[in-house]
Parts: sequence; C-alpha cells; structure tokens
Amino acid sequence: MEYMSKGIKEIHDDLKSGKVTSEELVNESLKKAHKVQDKCNAFVTIIDDAKGVDVTDSLLSGIPCGIKDNYSTKGILSTGSSNTLKDYIPFFDATAITNLKNNGAVIIGKCTMDEFGMGGTGTTAHTGVQKNPWDLSRMCAGSSSGSAASVASGVYPYATGSDTGDSIRKPAAYCGIVGYKPTYGMISRYGLFAFASSLDHLGCLTRSVEDAAIVVDAMKGIDKKDMTSWDSSNIHLYESLSSDVKGKKLCYIKEICDPGNYPDASEETKQHLDNFYKTIELCKKIGMEVSEVSIDKKLLDALGSVYNIISCAEATSNMSNLTGIIFGPRVNADNYEDMMKKYRTEGFSSLIKRRFIIGSYVLQAQNKDRYFNNAQRVRRLLVDAWKDLYKEYDAVILPVGSGPAKYLDDSKNKKFTNSNILEEHLQIGNFGGFPSITIPNGFINNLPVGVNITGNCYDDINVLNIAYALESEMNYKGQIAKEVK
Amino acid sequence: MVFTEELVDVLADKLLIGLTREENKMVLEEFESIDSDNKKVCEIDNIENVEPMTHCLDDFVYELRDDEYKGDNEDIDDLLSNCDDYIDTEIKVPKVVK
Repeated sequence: MEYMSKGIKEIHDDLKSGKVTSEELVNESLKKAHKVQDKCNAFVTIIDDAKGVDVTDSLLSGIPCGIKDNYSTKGILSTGSSNTLKDYIPFFDATAITNLKNNGAVIIGKCTMDEFGMGGTGTTAHTGVQKNPWDLSRMCAGSSSGSAASVASGVYPYATGSDTGDSIRKPAAYCGIVGYKPTYGMISRYGLFAFASSLDHLGCLTRSVEDAAIVVDAMKGIDKKDMTSWDSSNIHLYESLSSDVKGKKLCYIKEICDPGNYPDASEETKQHLDNFYKTIELCKKIGMEVSEVSIDKKLLDALGSVYNIISCAEATSNMSNLTGIIFGPRVNADNYEDMMKKYRTEGFSSLIKRRFIIGSYVLQAQNKDRYFNNAQRVRRLLVDAWKDLYKEYDAVILPVGSGPAKYLDDSKNKKFTNSNILEEHLQIGNFGGFPSITIPNGFINNLPVGVNITGNCYDDINVLNIAYALESEMNYKGQIAKEVK
Repeated sequence: MVFTEELVDVLADKLLIGLTREENKMVLEEFESIDSDNKKVCEIDNIENVEPMTHCLDDFVYELRDDEYKGDNEDIDDLLSNCDDYIDTEIKVPKVVK
C-alpha cells in the first residue's frame, strides 16, 4: 500500500493504530524521492539515512516531509540553490524547522528552488532545470519548484515553501496542489535565507487545505529571534476548519479577470478564465455572494515595476554578506577584494547579478526617491485598495497566472497584451502581508490550473475555510501528478 | 536617464560583481524597461504625497528587545565546519590592511 499519496490525518491514524511504522513511511518516501529526482530534478539533497521517529499525538509525528533549500537545517546542506553556498551546512535550524521537528516531522529531502528565491520559473537552481511532473516539457514555476513537484508527485504529503512574490502559490497552481502562505509574521523568518525581508513569507505546499492547516499550525509561533513574528497561540487553523461558508462575501477584480482585457490571449488563457468564472458560479452555489469590483488600472499596471524595485533593493542589501569569506566556498586571489569579486562573479547566476545591479541603482541617493520611495508609495496605495475591499468582503478570489504551466522552451509560450497583470497580481498578497491560498480548480490540456483566495491580515481562518469549502465541492483534492505515478 | 554600458559596469564594480558583455546588455535592457514602467508610477495622481510603505504590517507595534545575545552554546566544531581556512579554533582571513 502507498501511504505517501494519502493525507496527513489518514497517515497519522494508521501510524497510531500500528498499521504502518514511521520507518516504513521513510523508506517509501525515499524510494519515491529518487524516482522523482530522475524525472523532475526536484531535490538538492535526498537524505538517504533519514530515520523514522516515535509516533506521538502530534499529527505530523513520524511522517516524512520536504524542506525548501533556503531553510537553514542543522547539519544538512542548505544551498538556496546557489553555487555561492554549494557547500554550506548550517549549525542551527530555522525556527520553523525546530517547530516541525518538535512535532515529530521527518525531513527526507531539501528541495530545489530558483536561486535564492529570485525567480519564477524553477529553472535557475545551481543543480539544473526543474521539470513539471504533469508534463516534463513544462515548468513548475518558482521559486518553490522542488517543493511543489515533490508534493504533487506523492513523495510525501507536504513540503515547506517561501513566498516573496507568489513563490508558493504559483508553483502550487502549476502542479495541481495547495499552496498557502499565512499572514506575514505568523511563521518566524529566523533561519530562512532572506531575499526581500519586507515581503518574505514562509508557508507550505500540500495536497489539501486540511493538510495546509495542520502544517502551518506546527510551523507557526512567536519567536524572540524574529521581532516581526506575533503571538498566534489563540489561532488553531486545523481545529477551526469549517465548510459552512454560507453568506460569506467574495469579490474579484474586473481589470484582472475580464477576458475582454486580453483580446489576443492564448486558447489556454481563455479556457483558464472561463474555468475561473465556473468556480465563481460554484462559490455562489454553496451560498457565498460574489461581486465584481474595479481597481484603478494605473495602480495595477504599476504592480510589476513596484515588486521589481522593492525586491531587488532589499535583496541587494540582504545578500551583501555573500562574500565567500565568512561562508561559502573561498576562492584564491591576491587580495580580499579580488577574492570577493571572483566569488560573486563566478558564483551568482546572470539573473541574480542583474537583480543586484538594479537594486543597487534604485537605492543610490540620487535615484532613491524616484524609484524606491515611489515604489513603496504605490505599494501603500495598492494595499489600501485591498484593505478597502476587506471592509466589505471576506476575501478576494482571483485566477492564478495566465493558464496552466508554461513551456520550458519559452519560444512555445504565447505572449499577449496585458498578460503581466494576470501573472503578477499575487504579489499584492506580499505587499500587504495578507493570508493567501491557492487551490486547484480544474484542468486545461490535461494540466492543472489554480484559483487563489486572499483575505485580510490575521484572518487566516476565514481564508482557509473558504478554500476548504470550495475544495470539497471540486474533485482535485489529494491528486497526484500523472508522470510519476 | 540615459543608461550606458559604462554605467552598468560602474554599478557592477561597486557590488564586486563582474559582468560579461552579454550580461551587461541584459542589464541595460532591464533598466530601460524599469525606467519606462517607473514613468507610469510617477504619473499616478498625488503620488508624492503618499507615505512610503516600508513594511507589510506597518500598523504592527514592535517591542524593542534588550540589547543582549544569549547564544545557544553552539559547538565550536560545528561553527568551523563551514570555514575553508582555519588553524585550531582561529579562522584565517585575508589581509585587509595594505
């Protein structure tokens, strides 16, 4: 019997009743991990000597999981999928990892990602391109690409992710699973490799909303090592799950969802939007009210630029410690400046270099107000616009991306007018720290697509319940990718 | 703003990053795109009067911590395991003073 394709609660019940042992689960998970690695390249490290643990009342105890490679894991290689940290072994665990371990989680692998989380394709890891388990010619999106692919393939029921723009929620959609980032600060960022600190969220990828609630319950908690974390001890996500959403009010944004905005869209995009409106009808069928609202298009058009400027600026600052002297492989040179330059030049990919240069430029004194401060001003306007929506609505519901997973060969991907707004709108969830979850809502060309639900800060239970109710009306919960079945 | 190859090289040099000609060209293209997008930002009504948002929970009340560090008694061998060059418990660093 295969256990790793089941949900956490079911596995836990079988562990408790003695039908299966933690050791047996670990063996099954490792076997599957190697199979997925051969096809999809989902792992930086597979921990072949991982061992089962004693089973407790904690739902995660004894169950294998994957960890995105930008989480510090004591004694386990943690590279951020970058050549600059290809031999880095942390001497401490990220707080979220400590919390998972305290709940009995068994780590069996470190998952590939776009280098330092700075990419949305899953193609920039130092270990190579990551392939989508539903179709090996397509990408997983990023940056939590390995986490998404491995969960979708049934290696284990969950993996951790991080999300600075949409890095949990878009890979989840492309891989037909659930991706959840809770309110900013619910999970401590201590020990996560910082990308853009004001936007970085931790979260998880699972195959059901229930599992997402269980995993984040275990990861979260106030942490003295992260002063932006807050006390969520009165929030019990799993225990609070309810599919009674009658009377909940949702809205979607006309400027993002209306097919008329995309006159030259691909057939896949048209079908994706059509499918989104079917999901809206389903929301109404289960008792929710759904309204179409408008947001200033000028603000939405500025979204991508705002994200680029803020994230590049913060990344440049955060990663100035990557010198190759205090950690990372040292290189030989005549003096310390040449050492650092050689290390950074040879270690960073082109993408990272470009982002650092842009970040440095927009932070220069003569440019800061025009670029960086203005980006932060638009950030506020966008967040205020969303907060105004939350005065009237319980959540915003929107399609994820412009369709199913894109081709790895970019020449096969159709470019069309206004596509950026469809691709980038999830970044607003990071600007405002909003709880946000993606669930699968259909198939196009035999590939999964997703829908996203985002609510106001600290309103995670509401967001999860809407997703939970919607998920129970569709047939995509717990699905496993076909390529690696 | 006029972006040039020379400007890109100066910026890269300050970051201690070397660029190939191809990478330099890619940065130039991105600069032009960002500058063009930023013009749209500058055209937003009254943008100059909006308070920049520096953090996503900017209504959050932060409590400053005591300025002290209580280490977790890390093992010295663990700490040295990422260091490529050390003698006993002392890390060798490159000479900084010329």
